[in-house]
Amino acid sequence: MSVFSKWLQERIPISGAQLQELTNEPVPNHLKRWWFALGGTPAYLFVVQIVTGILLAFYYQSSAQTAYESVRYITQEAAFGWYLRGLHKWAATLMIAAVILHQMRVYFTAAYQRPRELNWVIGMSLLMCTLLTGFTGYSLVFEQLSFWGATVAANISDAVPVVGPIAKEMLLAGDTYNDRTLSRFYILHAAVLPTTIILLVAVHIAFIRLHGVTELQFEDEADDRPKHFNFFPDHLLTEITIGLILMIVLSALATVFPATMGPKADPLTTPEVIKPEWFFYVSFRWLKLFSLTFAVLSTGFIVAAMFLWPWIDRVLRKLTGNEDISVYIGIVATFLLIGLTVWEASVAH
Amino acid sequence: MKVKTKQYLVGFLGLLFLASLIFVQAMEVARRTAESGPRGAHAVTPASSKACVECHMKTSPGIIDHWKGSTHANKGVGCVECHQAAHEDVDAFDHYGATIATIVTPKDCGRCHKTETAEFMASHHAKAGNILASLDNFLAETVEGSRVPFNPHVKTPGMEVDMVNGMASANVGCRQCHGSKVAIEGTDGSLITVDELKPDENGIPTSLDALALIRKDENGRPVLHNSSWPNTGIGRLNLDGSRGSCSACHSRHDFSPRRARQPENCGKCHLGPDHPQKEIYEESKHGVAFRDLKEHMNLDAKHWVLGTDYTQAPTCATCHMSGHSRNGGKVTHDPGQRISWTNRPPISTLMDTDINGNVISETDPVERQKQTVSSWQDKRQSMKDVCLHCHTQNYVNAFYKQYDDFIINYNEKFARPGTKIMNALKDNELLTKTQFDEEIEWTWFYLWHHEGRRARHGASMMAPDYAHWHGMYEVAERFYQQLIPQAREIAHQAEEAGEADKAKAVLTIIDDILARPEHEWFENAKKLAGDGKSSLTPEGIVSAADDSSGDKQPDGDAAPGTASDDRAGDSKPADPADNGSKQD
Amino acid sequence: MDESDGGQELPESDPTTRRGFLEHAANLSMAGGLAAGYGMLGLQAAQYLYPAEAGQTITQFVCTLNQLKVGESLPYTLPSGAKIVVARQQEGETADAFIALSSVCPHLGCKVHWEAVNSRFFCPCHNGAFNAQGEPTEGPPAAANQHLTRYPLTVEGNLLMIQVPLNSVHVSGSEATA
Repeated sequence: MSVFSKWLQERIPISGAQLQELTNEPVPNHLKRWWFALGGTPAYLFVVQIVTGILLAFYYQSSAQTAYESVRYITQEAAFGWYLRGLHKWAATLMIAAVILHQMRVYFTAAYQRPRELNWVIGMSLLMCTLLTGFTGYSLVFEQLSFWGATVAANISDAVPVVGPIAKEMLLAGDTYNDRTLSRFYILHAAVLPTTIILLVAVHIAFIRLHGVTELQFEDEADDRPKHFNFFPDHLLTEITIGLILMIVLSALATVFPATMGPKADPLTTPEVIKPEWFFYVSFRWLKLFSLTFAVLSTGFIVAAMFLWPWIDRVLRKLTGNEDISVYIGIVATFLLIGLTVWEASVAH
Repeated sequence: MKVKTKQYLVGFLGLLFLASLIFVQAMEVARRTAESGPRGAHAVTPASSKACVECHMKTSPGIIDHWKGSTHANKGVGCVECHQAAHEDVDAFDHYGATIATIVTPKDCGRCHKTETAEFMASHHAKAGNILASLDNFLAETVEGSRVPFNPHVKTPGMEVDMVNGMASANVGCRQCHGSKVAIEGTDGSLITVDELKPDENGIPTSLDALALIRKDENGRPVLHNSSWPNTGIGRLNLDGSRGSCSACHSRHDFSPRRARQPENCGKCHLGPDHPQKEIYEESKHGVAFRDLKEHMNLDAKHWVLGTDYTQAPTCATCHMSGHSRNGGKVTHDPGQRISWTNRPPISTLMDTDINGNVISETDPVERQKQTVSSWQDKRQSMKDVCLHCHTQNYVNAFYKQYDDFIINYNEKFARPGTKIMNALKDNELLTKTQFDEEIEWTWFYLWHHEGRRARHGASMMAPDYAHWHGMYEVAERFYQQLIPQAREIAHQAEEAGEADKAKAVLTIIDDILARPEHEWFENAKKLAGDGKSSLTPEGIVSAADDSSGDKQPDGDAAPGTASDDRAGDSKPADPADNGSKQD
Repeated sequence: MDESDGGQELPESDPTTRRGFLEHAANLSMAGGLAAGYGMLGLQAAQYLYPAEAGQTITQFVCTLNQLKVGESLPYTLPSGAKIVVARQQEGETADAFIALSSVCPHLGCKVHWEAVNSRFFCPCHNGAFNAQGEPTEGPPAAANQHLTRYPLTVEGNLLMIQVPLNSVHVSGSEATA
């Protein structure tokens, strides 16, 4: 044993203590409350996505001729393929939900304020990447809804002035959905976006480490309590626990609501009811409410505002003199978000 | 929460995760088990048919999709295996390097399915094409259409119609069930069929004259005449000399046994006013049970053996063809093997069959015994073996007693008297030689061919409404209210025309019949009221009755020479007087 | 890793004491739970990656018995393109009368062909040779005692059927979707 550790020590000249010192960030006490550990949830789910995604990629074929058949093979023939596909689908859903919840927590606790504005911007970028990954992933199944969803989305981006047509052509590799479109989606989904997410997460965490976690004081806590606890092993155990609970929940979802397959994409027939994935319900409803140009421009404006919110928030507070102005706006926005989603979910057209 | 507690929690959750994965494992196993049924099969395109599949997938994907669901595809039997042809075959042509023929005949199927083809060839099904080009087909070819093309009355707006094809009804009606005589167009406008080609036992044509006449299209493909193809009639007369079409029941290109096992498959032909077997079946308890229990019938089973794979209900195939636990699961492709009465002719006869599988018309018991290879009792026993899966011996025997009594009652009360009257009219030349040009010929045809068969089939398959209201009731009405008055009318007209002898001969026979106790009710009251109206003396009645009891001729006096050639006097250019050879 | 991390965080403890035992139990429970859960997942992932059709065979139609006379052979091609030689060696209606041999040399995968003159299968790559039974007679296959792969044959009624690996019957292309 000692010979082995000596051998190892020589090759990897870092001791356990040093490693611990290097990674062991003092964690603020409020993270003992599970609600505040949400930031780790999307990270964990992201790992699940990478693992299951790699497994699915073993059999997936990204061409219009074979894509649907390969997904069918995974779902119906490969051992546990249906389960892994279910995990991938549900982890995606939960990941998007977790990212949104994490962002809401950050927003309502105003954790984006000076000096953490840039990390908010990175977080926003991560949200965008996550949504795009979800969108491209759904398109890969090449069933009717995913095909027409992609077509509609591409035509929406067409409505954006100046850059829109180019964006559409870049996305579809042509004017319309064609033989080369699917491989674009595949590379975006399986290579470009995940890499971007990994890089952004690294920067995201680096910023957290540099700034330290925003500390919060709760009224029911004694002032003299220690304000921090150790990442190792205490907080790590929390994360492992959350990870296991997630795995159990995912397994339950994947077995009870398995990933299904709709009819194969048919470029000649648009289905009666077309819906995007649930996380696009908001924008889909928004599109139906207003003219295309207005909807697209307003969506762009809202997204831009979200990116810049740390600064907008400062201006608003100065203008209104109300410290909690963002909270009120946030509540209204949340209701709007939920309202539009529920509305879209409850009607056929 | 303490670190240690968390560690235990992690351990516990890990096990819980394991439990959920074990559940996943169980689901996977269940899925595998469910999939290992007959439908989990793989479609394999054999190398020989790869090119066919690739091209036809685009041009006619339905064929390929059907084939992919077939057992053939699972076993590596592709397009070429069935469609391959020898260069010498009359309908062979080169199709992208492969020598193939369009029509796949029982000879082709028989390359692999030997026993099935042999059984089928021996069956009455394979002889269904015999009615074609005979006087029996008179109805469709002449009465409904015309044997020679004729001029249209006016132009058909929007379409060039120079001549009317009078064979249309025969082509579309008769032949789609009975089978066409497959024909290739000749360069001189003639039709080249098996008769001209005279194929040897391998199906290779021997007549060079006929071969020289064959018309080929621009691709070198012999042109099949549209009157004979498309056609999947069960008695098709093929160019290679074989008879029949396996796809009549085993629909191409999936050849689904599941479909062949269901009554709808037989219902393409066995329905309608003259032999509504499928409707009769549907009305019977058998059909009712099948409709209800269809999904428990194990219709996808590899061997579909009654008593082993299913017992819920019988279909047509169950009783007439399929294997069952009492015969070792042996299927027969000759549905006649379990039928004891043939109810096809005007007068039902027992199914004693000779060496050629034809129904014996011989009346002498010793001679009959000598000719019999398979007796009606053998056939009935084969059917009883099926019945006994669900019914007791006593029940089955009693059913057959009811059935026999019904048939004999029909035969003796209406069929034989009717035949006798019709023959009397013909013998005395009170009817023309042409069929269907006199009302009474239609009347008689309705009586035995439509109503009489409905009654008998209704009794054979336990559909009381068909036996009675659609059957015997209408037979009786037709007999008393139409056949008798019409026959008398003809006789009276003859009398007026100065042919008193002929009239008397017919009227005597009619009165003899009506004087019999089973018909006595009909004119008894009238007779008592208007005494002496009858032209016959009481002595006459007695003597005529003696005559009729001495009548030995069965089966409507069919000419013995022709009747022995086929099973039920159902084919051949028989004597037009023999209504027993009307098509069915 | 989790276990060793936990071990580093906690001071070395003596499992004989009550406290030490409890700590060990907690570590063990955690490690066991994690190993069981994720281990099982890993196992299932391995099953997923293991080719579904490996080792499975499918029975395919070759010809009717009377199509092949004694002493004759016919080439049978799998959809994947692999060539098999099917020959009838004696009279009889059983599968024993027939033989099906792969035409791939077991040495390095070259194509063998039948030399009627020498009545042997010959592989031009390294002068390997096999007799009509597929047994090696010369060259590297003989040295290593490598036989030509023999495919099992069965007779169903009057049909000769061959058992081939399931994955050899699927070929890429639009029609390969079974």
